[in-house]
Amino acid sequence: MNRVVTSPTGRLAVATAILLVVWLVILPWVGRRPAIDRHVRAMEKGGINPAAMFYTELERLPLRPPWIEQQLVLWLERGAE
Amino acid sequence: MSHDATISVRRGFHEDSSAIVIGGLLVALALGIGLGSRPADEAGSRKAFPKGWPNPLAATIEKPQTWDTSPAQALVDKKGKPVGMPILLGMAWIVGVIAGGTLLRGRSLAAVLPGAAALALLGGLAYLLAAQKVVNYYNLEYPLWALLVGLLIGNTVGTSRWLEPAVGGEFLIKTGLVVFGAEVLFSRLLELGLPGLLTSWVVTPIVLAATYWLGVYRLGIPSKSLCMVISADLSVCGVSAAIATAAACKAKKEELSLAIGLSLAFTVAMMVAMPPFIRWAGIDPIVGGAWLGGTIDATGAVVAAGEMLGRELDDKRPAEVAATVKMIQNSMIGIIAFAVAVYWAGWVERSSAGPQASLAAEAWERFPKFILGFIAASVVCSFLFTRSPESGLWVDGATLGFTSRLRGWLFCVGFVCMGLQTNFRQLAPYLASGRPLVLYIVGQCLNLALSLAMASLTFGWLFRKAVEP
Repeated sequence: MNRVVTSPTGRLAVATAILLVVWLVILPWVGRRPAIDRHVRAMEKGGINPAAMFYTELERLPLRPPWIEQQLVLWLERGAE
Repeated sequence: MSHDATISVRRGFHEDSSAIVIGGLLVALALGIGLGSRPADEAGSRKAFPKGWPNPLAATIEKPQTWDTSPAQALVDKKGKPVGMPILLGMAWIVGVIAGGTLLRGRSLAAVLPGAAALALLGGLAYLLAAQKVVNYYNLEYPLWALLVGLLIGNTVGTSRWLEPAVGGEFLIKTGLVVFGAEVLFSRLLELGLPGLLTSWVVTPIVLAATYWLGVYRLGIPSKSLCMVISADLSVCGVSAAIATAAACKAKKEELSLAIGLSLAFTVAMMVAMPPFIRWAGIDPIVGGAWLGGTIDATGAVVAAGEMLGRELDDKRPAEVAATVKMIQNSMIGIIAFAVAVYWAGWVERSSAGPQASLAAEAWERFPKFILGFIAASVVCSFLFTRSPESGLWVDGATLGFTSRLRGWLFCVGFVCMGLQTNFRQLAPYLASGRPLVLYIVGQCLNLALSLAMASLTFGWLFRKAVEP
C-alpha cells in the first residue's frame, strides 16, 4: 500500500479517486441540503451565472436599467439648460 | 534571401507578436463572419437580438454545461440541445491556436500536436469540474480547477516528453487576452453616468495604489508583482483583472495562482455574507447594490449577491445597479493593464546600474507588446460598438457568441499549463509567510469602506433623484 502511494502513478490514482468521490458523491449530496438547494434554484430561476468571470459571460447582459435611463436623460437636459 | 533574413525566418515570431497575430485574426474572423450574417429584419433592434446578431461561429464552440449528479448532463444545454460536438470543436480551436503559434514561432508542428490535443482534453476536464452545480453556483470559477488539474498531473506523474513541447501557458493566456480585448468596451464606462463613474473610477485606483503601497512598503512583501496582482484582483474585478495585470507586470505563475485562490475564497464568503449584512444594517438597497458591485471581485458573484439582496425586497434595482457598477469596473481592465505595463517597464524594472538609455527607450524595450494587441482589439470594438445600434449588435454577436467562449477555453488551457509547470514546493514560501493573505484582507477592508462611502455619497445623496423611480 505504501509503495502505491509513494509511486508517481499511485499518487495520481489516489488523487483521481479523491476527485471522483468529491465530485460524484459529496458535491451532489451537498447540493441536496435545503439551504444550498434553495440558493441553486433561486439562481437558476433568475437566469444568473454566479461563475461568470466577465460581464459578457452573464446570461442576461447588464444594460442601463430603464428606470435610470429616463432620469439620466432628464438630468443631462437640465445640465444643458 | 540574406543570411540574417534566413535566421530570422527560422527563429520565427516572438511569443507576444504571435499572440497579437493569432488573437487579432480570430477577432477579425468573428467580426467578418458576423457581418456576413447580418439579419435581414430589425438588424438594429436590441429587443429582437438581446445578445447581438447571431454569429455562425457560435455553433463551433461551447463548454460543458452545469451538471448535478452525472457528468453526462454536461453534454446537454438548458434547452435540451446536445452540445457534445461544439465542445469537441472548442477543443479543436485550442489545438488550432497552439498549432498556429508553433508555426509562427518557427517550431516543429508535429512535435506539439499530440500534446496540444491532450491539453485541450485536460481543459475540458477542468471545465467539467467547474460545471458541477454546487461549484458553479458558488462561484468557484474554472481557473481554480484548471490549476488543480495541472498541479495534480505535474506533481505526480510529471509532464511527459511528448506533452512538454505543447505546454505554453503564457502564450495561450496572452492570446486569450488579445481576444479578450474585443469584450472590453470603453463605451460601457458611461453606462451609469456620473454616479457609476464616481463609484468605480474614484475608488478603484485609490484602492489599487494604496494596497500596492501597503504590500511593498509596509508589509515588506519581497515580490512587487505579487502585490500588484493582489491589488488589481481585489480592486478591479477579480480573476480577469488578475490575469491581465499579471501578464502586464510579468508576475510569476505561482503569484497569479495564489492571487486567484485568495480572490475566489473571499468572493464566495462575500457573496453569501454581504446581502444579509446590508439588510441587517438597514443600508438603502440601491446603495447596497452599488456597494456589492464595487467590492465583490467576481462579476457573476456580484449579480448573484444583488439578486439575493433584491429578492426579499421584491426589487430588481439592487441587482441592476450592482451588475452595472461591476460592468464599469470590467471595462477599466484595459486602462489598468496598460498603465501597469507602462509603470512596470518604465519604473519598476528600470535598472539603476549601467549605461542609461532614455526612459522611453528602456520602457519600450521591456514593455509587454501583446498588451498593444489587447488595447487595439478593445479600441476597434469600442469604436464599432458606438457607431450605430446595428454595429453595436454586430460586435455583441461576435463577442458573446464566439470570442468570449474562445477566450474562456484559452485561459482554461493556459491555467492547466501553468499548473503543469508549477511545483507545490514553489507555492510554500508564499503560503508560509501569510503576508499575502494579510494584504488581501487589509486591501479588501479599505475597498469595503471607501466603496460604501462613495456609493452612499453618489447613489444615496448627490444623485439620489436619478435612481428614484
